[in-house]
Order: sequence, then C-alpha cells, then structure tokens
Amino acid sequence: MSTTFLGFIQQVINGLTLGSIYALIAIGYTMVYGIIGMINFAHGEIYMIGSYVGVLVLTALTLLGLQSVPLMLLLTLVVSILVTSAYGWTVERLAYRPLRGSPRLAPLISAIGMSIFLQNYVMLGQGARDISMQPLIAGGWRFGAEGGFQVYLSYMQVLIAVVTVIFMALLTLYISRSRMGRACRACAEDREMANLLGIDTDRVISLTFVLGAALAAVAGVLVGLYYGKINPFIGFVAGIKAFTAAVLGGIGSIPGAMLGGIVLGLTESFASAYLSTQYKDVVAFGLLVLVLLFRPTGLLGKPDVEKV
Amino acid sequence: MTLKRRLPEALSMSLLTALLTLPVLGVHLQVEGLKVALQGDARPVCIAMTAVFLARLFQEPLKQAYSWLNLGRLLPGPQRLATYRTPLLTLLVGAALIWPFFASRGAVDVATLSLIYVMLGLGLNIVVGYAGLLDLGYVAFYAVGAYSYALLAQNFGLGFWECLPVSVAMTATAGCLLGFPVLRLRGDYLAIVTLGFGEIVYLLLNNLDSLTGGPDGVKNIPKPTFFGLEFAREPSTPGGVTFHRFFGLDYRGGDVVIFLFLLALVLVLFILFVIDRLIRMPIGRAWEALREDELACVSLGLNPTVIKLSAFTLGASFGGFAGAFFAARQGFINPESFTFIESAIVLAIVVLGGMGSQIGVILAAVALTVLPEVARQFQEYRMLAFGLVMILMMIWRPQGLLPASRPRLELPQ
Amino acid sequence: MKHVIRNRLLTALVGALALAIGGMAQAEDTIKIAIVGPITGPVAQYGEMQMNGAKMAVEQINAKGGVNGKKLEAVLMDDVCEPKQAVAVANKVVNEGIGFVVGHLCSGSTQPASKIYDEEGILMITPAATNPDITKQGYKQVFRTIGTDDQQGPVAGNFIADRIKPKQMAILHDKQQYGQGIASEVKRTVEGKGIKVVLFEGINKGQTDFSALITKMKKEGVDFVYYGGYHPELGLILRQAREQGFDARFMGPEGVGNKDITAIAGPASEGLLVTLPADFTQDPANAALVKAFKDKNLDPSGPFVMPGYAAVQIIADTIAKTGSTDPKAVAEAMHQSSYKTPIGTVAFKDSGDLKEFQFIVFTWHADATKTPVQ
Repeated sequence: MSTTFLGFIQQVINGLTLGSIYALIAIGYTMVYGIIGMINFAHGEIYMIGSYVGVLVLTALTLLGLQSVPLMLLLTLVVSILVTSAYGWTVERLAYRPLRGSPRLAPLISAIGMSIFLQNYVMLGQGARDISMQPLIAGGWRFGAEGGFQVYLSYMQVLIAVVTVIFMALLTLYISRSRMGRACRACAEDREMANLLGIDTDRVISLTFVLGAALAAVAGVLVGLYYGKINPFIGFVAGIKAFTAAVLGGIGSIPGAMLGGIVLGLTESFASAYLSTQYKDVVAFGLLVLVLLFRPTGLLGKPDVEKV
Repeated sequence: MTLKRRLPEALSMSLLTALLTLPVLGVHLQVEGLKVALQGDARPVCIAMTAVFLARLFQEPLKQAYSWLNLGRLLPGPQRLATYRTPLLTLLVGAALIWPFFASRGAVDVATLSLIYVMLGLGLNIVVGYAGLLDLGYVAFYAVGAYSYALLAQNFGLGFWECLPVSVAMTATAGCLLGFPVLRLRGDYLAIVTLGFGEIVYLLLNNLDSLTGGPDGVKNIPKPTFFGLEFAREPSTPGGVTFHRFFGLDYRGGDVVIFLFLLALVLVLFILFVIDRLIRMPIGRAWEALREDELACVSLGLNPTVIKLSAFTLGASFGGFAGAFFAARQGFINPESFTFIESAIVLAIVVLGGMGSQIGVILAAVALTVLPEVARQFQEYRMLAFGLVMILMMIWRPQGLLPASRPRLELPQ
Repeated sequence: MKHVIRNRLLTALVGALALAIGGMAQAEDTIKIAIVGPITGPVAQYGEMQMNGAKMAVEQINAKGGVNGKKLEAVLMDDVCEPKQAVAVANKVVNEGIGFVVGHLCSGSTQPASKIYDEEGILMITPAATNPDITKQGYKQVFRTIGTDDQQGPVAGNFIADRIKPKQMAILHDKQQYGQGIASEVKRTVEGKGIKVVLFEGINKGQTDFSALITKMKKEGVDFVYYGGYHPELGLILRQAREQGFDARFMGPEGVGNKDITAIAGPASEGLLVTLPADFTQDPANAALVKAFKDKNLDPSGPFVMPGYAAVQIIADTIAKTGSTDPKAVAEAMHQSSYKTPIGTVAFKDSGDLKEFQFIVFTWHADATKTPVQ
C-alpha cells in the first residue's frame, strides 16, 4: 500500500478522534437549544471543569496507589460526571432560570457572563498554569510495512471512540424510551403545551442541563487523558468548535450534533493535512457558512415552520 | 418560625456547594517539578458552605430586606427619561467637554476607550437592537475599520482625516458583502455564521502576513491632526508645524490624550445624531417592523432584503468609525485586539443597556469599560467580578438598564 | 497559590486604603519602579518569572538600605499582555508620576507602551520582550536586558546548518509575534546555507490536536523540526509525535526551555535542542542569589528571572551613581556605564540593546535537566 493511502487512513483516524470529542460537547449545546432555544455559552467551561475534576481524581487515585486502570477510569468518570452535573444544574438554576420569559438575548448575555466567571473561578482556584499528566493508557497498534509509513491507532483513540459510542447510545435510548426522555422530546416540540399537559418543564430543563454537563464531563476526562494538558482556557476554544459542530449538524438535533462533530473533526484534519494548519479553522468556518447557505437549518435540522 | 422547615433545604444546598467548590477551591493541583501533587485547603469550602447555608436558612428575611432596598426604583422609567432626554444630554456633553482639562491623563485615556465602546455599541445597536439580527461577529467590522486606516496610513502615507471616510466606506462594503449571503438565515443560525465570519477575519488578519503584517500587526500609525497641526514634540516631517508651537504653548504629552478624547466625543455625537435621524426615517421604522414580525413586514410590501442589508451596512460602518479611531488612539494594532470576546462585550453592552436604547447603550458602555479599570487593584478577582456583574445585571434588569420606549397602543383584554 | 492570592488581596486592599487616606505621607521618600507584565491571563506564568526577579532585586536593595537613603518601591501592574491594556497601564504609570518601568513582557504590549514612555520621558527596561523592532524606533530611554530574536534565530540556524545538516527540515511556529519572528529568522539562516525547508507552517493558538500535522510531516519524511513559540504547544507536539512514531529531532527557542515541557511531553522531551541564554543559576557568582530565591520557595531558573533582577539593579545602581532620579539623566548615564549583574557584565548599545548577549544550544533531558551541547 502506498504512503499516500496510508497517510489518508491515518488522517481519517485523527479526524474521527477529534470529531468524537467535538460531538460529545456539541450534544450539550444542541439539547439545551432544542428545549429552551438558547445558546449556553458556559457549556465549554463545564467541559473544562470536567477535565480538571478528571485530572484531580486520577492524581488522587494514583497517590492512593490504585493499580487497576479500568477501575480508575470508571471512578474518574463517575466523580467527574457527578461534579459537572452539579455545575450544570446550579448554573441553570442561578443564571438562566430567573431569566425565563425575559427578552431572548438576556440569557445569552448571562451565559457569556457565566462563562467569564467560571473561567476565572477555576483560574483562581487552580492557577493559570498548564496542568499536565502522563498517559494512563499508552501504546497501540501499528499497521503497514516495517521501515515505511506506518498507520498508528492508539488504544486511547479506540477508547475515545468506544466511550463516545456507548454514551451516545445510552443517551439515544434514554431520550427515546424513558418517561423523562419522552417529556424532553415533548418540551422540545412545544414547551407551553407540554406544561399544560402536566409535564414539569422546569424539571425537564434541569435534566437537560445535567445530561449535557455529564457528556461534557466525559469529553473533559477523555481529553485530559488523551492530550495530557489542561488549563482554564481550554473550554472556550472547544466550546466554540463544539457549538459550530452543533449548528453544522442542525442545532436541536442529537444525531445532528454527532454528525456535525465528526464532519468538523474530519474537515480540520484534512485541511491541516492537505492545505495548511494555519488555515484549518478558516476552512472549518468556511464549510459552516457554505453548509448553512445551502441548508439553512444545518445538515439534519428540521426546517423551521413559520407560525403566524 | 419557618426556620425549621427551611433547615433540610439549607443543608442540602450547603452540601451541593461543597460538591461544587471542593474540586476547584478545596483541592489544588500543584505542579511540583515533573509531578502533579495535591494540596488540600478546607477553608474556602467551609466559608462557601456556611455562607450558602445561612443564606438559604434566612432566605425570607433576606428577601424582605432586598425588596425594601429595591434598586430598580433608582432608575427612571422610560417615559420619564424621554422628557428629560435633551437637557440631560446637553448637561452630559457640556460636562464631558470641560472635564478632561481637569482630570488625570489615565482617566481621560480610559474615558476615550469607553467612548470607542460607545461607538461600537451604537453601531451594533442598529443591527441587534433595531433590526433584531443577532450578530456575534461584530468585531470583524471593527477590525476592517482599524486595519484599513492603519494600512492606508502605512502604505500611502495618508492621514486620519483622509482615511476616515475611506475606511468607513470599506467597512460598509464589508458589511454589505457579509450581509448578503446570510440574509436567508434566521435567528441563531445567523448568529453562528456571523461568529464564523468574525473568526475568519481574525484568522485572515493573522495569516496574510504580506498584507497585514500577521501577528506583528501594524506599527506607528499616525495620530489624528488638528487641522493639519500635529501633536508631537517635534514635527514628523521637515517643515511641519506642531500644535504647541502654532499656539505658542509648552509641549505637554497629555494634550494629545485630551484631543483624542474630544475627537472621540465629536465622533460619538455625530453617530448619535445620524442614528437619531435614521430611526425616525422610514428605514428606521422598517428595521423595527422587521424585528417585530418579518412575515407581517413582507405582507405589507416591505422588502426584507433591503432592510436587512441596510441595517448590516450601516451598523458595520459605525464599527469602522470605531476601528479607525481605535487604531489612531493606540498607534499599534495586531489581530489580538479583534477576538471573539470583543464581540461578546459589545453585544453585552447593547443588551445590558437595553436593546434599541441609545442612552442605555452609552451608559452600559461606560460601565463595562470603567468597571474593570476601577477594579484593576483586585487583580485576579477583576474578571471574576466582571462576569458576576454581567449575570447579576441581567437577572436584575433583563430588559436592560434603560430599555427603549416605543409609542404603542394596547388593546384592552 | 492560596497564600499568594490572599497576600495579593491583602496588598491590594491595604494599597487601596493607603491611597484613600492619602498616600502623600511617604510618597516622596521612595523611588517608585513600575513592574509591568501579565499577572493574570494565559501567559501569567512568564510574568511571574519577571516579577519574581524584579521583586527580589527591590527587596535585596532595600535590605541594604535602599538607594541614596531612599527605599525602592515596586508598583506591580497587570497588562495581561494585551496591547489595549498596556496603553492603559502606561498612561497610569504617567499618571502616578513613576519615572522607571521594568517591563513589559510581551512584544505586542511593549511596542505601544514604549511609545508613550518615550513621549513622557520615562525610562523603560524590558527584561523579556525580544522583538528586534522595539529598540529600532530611535527611543533614547528604552532598554532591554535580554537578547533579541534576530540574535537567537541565527544561533539556532547556524547550529542546524553546520552541525545537524538535516535533509528534510520543517519549521513550525505559533503565529504569534515572538514565535513567527524567530522561526522566520531560522528559516532565513538555514536556507542561506542551502538546507531545504519542506514545510513552513503556523499552528493556531490554543490548539491541542496536532495529529494531522504530525502525520503530514511523517509522510514527507521530515527528519528535523524547528518550532518557534512557547512550551505548551511544543510539549503537545512532542508527545503526539512520539505516539505516532514520528522520530525527527526537535529544536526550539528559550520560550520552550521550561521544566513544564517535560511535565507535558514526558520522555518525549529527551534530546530536544533548545537555544537559551547561558544558565545564570549555574554561575558561581550567583550562588547566594539562587539560594535567596530557593529560601523563598521561588524558582530562579526561568529565562526572565535574572534579566528582571538585572533591570532593577541597573536602575538602582545608576541612580546611586548619578545621584539623580531624573530618568533622562539616568538613561544618559546608562549608555556610558557597564554593570556587574546576575546576567554577567553588561553594557548597552546606543539602541538600548545589550552589547553582548549570548545564546547557547542545550540538549534537554527527560528529567527536565539540560546540558550544553559541546
């Protein structure tokens, strides 16, 4: 097999890994948007907090002398999800709920304020310095001829893909089968009507924030493990990218967020590989603009029905 | 009393606080050499827990105290404000004209900066406040304005006054060009596309090294002149005349700061005047009509394309004003001044001020620029407080500080 | 960290109080030096190096009785490395009537600020901003206690061309003034010596995933990479390169020569080449100073610590010598004198740059130590 082809395969692997992480974060944006129609700018910061909690727990577990990697991973995920869920719930309660029913842009500004607040809050507690950690899971598979170009697939990349798929499947099942999931969908369809029919919409909204935050925590822990370097500013960059992914896929649609994340990851990877790294974000945003011009509601978004 | 009833709730909230603060404030990740170590610090967590516990326990008395305080009464209602508008503005402008001659250089400089944000806020107010189009990439126009002045000055040696109309025209063109493809989009899709444009402009400024200087930016941008008189110790061109020599004054470095402030004030008044006229014209009415109901607007025979484009173009051109002035004030620009957070702050100014309200926008712009300067002593706590104030202001007055008043008639229910 | 924060809050509060009650009581008895750099924001850790060095100098000089009977007073100011805030800070310095500035840190914020200092006759020494343009503006009172990018770039370039002789070289940078400037210098030097640069590319600020870029370099058969920028990005590149099995050798400027690079890259940082100012902490003449830093639990080894110390010391020495606190007189004397400082014996060129500043190529090791390349 030629180097060109193997290089292409490697770029696909790179893109899918990046895309999985974008997708996990994008779901938080898309769910909140689907139900209350607001862009939750603080979501990126929730992901950042998840990442910090992940590193914190892993460090603590290492200090305690725990050896089993799967157990460590599981514990880290559980604690991180617990803490970020609490953050998701509190943020909604304090900064967004009092603004329900106020002008459309008020919650957006409150969210930007919350994002600035959380970023500086973590900086205050943990410092602005990079926190880094050595890989927990190292190694991987190599394909291709010895001495030539080898495609490398690390265990960590596989883990990211597997964990992403598991959590997406769980979420999809939950939304489509459970009682609360049905209530969620009802709220997304028409919140006022759902309320009239006896659904506690406040609870549904809280749940949405908690679910979004939980997935952000998963992404945060995976990123902490994969890249091994976090700081209080990672949430902002990742947040904008994930938001772009959510819109690309059609904001409000959960499969759309997954698709958008993957498309964005692959685009960045290919732009970096075949054009130039410094233009990869230009290509990514350019693609977004193009897609929206031809499909104004994103790849999988439902067309708006104009109500008079 | 009801304290006993509140106890379980207060306890659970206090536990939640523990969960929230423990991983951030309670345990510190510390880089020690090559290892990351943990260091516990129970104090902040305990303080936060106690504070939340007490606040929840005594929620009712606190609420009563707050309602007695009622900060909302301090601000005049929209109707009352409208009657006082002219005398109020005259008074403010008069004060602003005299004030810089007595204030310190640093204070005047901060005031100039806040006037730049006033210009930006007024410009974005047309797009967001009047036409109701959410624009998250307004910084792109600010950047186009700044760079077009800087590059014209650098490459062709033109001065501020020749460049100002050119850079405003260029930003207006940019606004029109960016506005054109996004007209089909609604609401938040529009927002993300404008955000994308803002990022693209930033990245292009940073990457097109041969044109924009890339990350080095543009240096030595000339300051505006006073009818051809320079503000400098020595004239930059042989035979040039400086301001202080012409008027036979001693050279003071502070003069240029005061001049820039007054110039900014003039520009702001000019923009205010133009917008004030515009919103009374049919086009201004059309913007508001479009914001309220696009479908009804179309049914009444208005052309939404023209209305949206005009809002985008005009809003952008005022951003260009601000940009050109910013470049002149700073003397040096690089892409770092034009990141997303600027867009977010300008948007916050418009929303905090009260969408569509000129005075509100001015007030909010001054508040959001002066506040961080005043809080400079608090260092780490500065931006923390800034974010908190944004949230609290929104909760306190979701409609903005001084929301615009529109003549309207309501049918009795 | 928490002590630092609490102390700073306390200082800020006390400072505010002192200002409120009227600070004129002791204002005239001290010589104020503004120490400006990022205290908050993403590059705060570099600001900390400069501040630690400068503060230590102020303390030690005061402990010896100050300058001409007056104590030095360090006024810390935060510009967050943003040009806009740097202008505000510079105006504040003018406002408070401070005549001497040690700072700023980032070239982008130093440029607009130095213009204001020049207009107002304030003396500025930057211990960290390395962009060559800063001292090319003809300002008489702007100095620098660190080498410049166009000194460092050729050192790295010549080393690569003469010693490494790579067949396929890639040059990356972080699209910032410092990183891109130095990367361009390296490119110019190696290409002048006939080395083929197959890739010259910028990365994005805050980027964490470099796998696509690494795959590309691997495919091109790149055998040597120069990176212009700071350690967080290079650390990630090294780590991800090692993972993908891309085994080219890497090199970077002093911005990457930081213990944290090993914390991020782990074993992948072994063999990294770095151009650094001579390691001042190894100089036997500095042993007492190094101990003073360690006693206070501060790290003396960052690239801007000793230059920061030297900047304050030079100002103090000159004031002592000339007996004048007029920045103009001090600047004139500085051009004529030479000083014995922790960064060696220094003298200034007319431009305000150091007459001599040496960069040495070091090999970095996986235990975060470094050895000079023979």
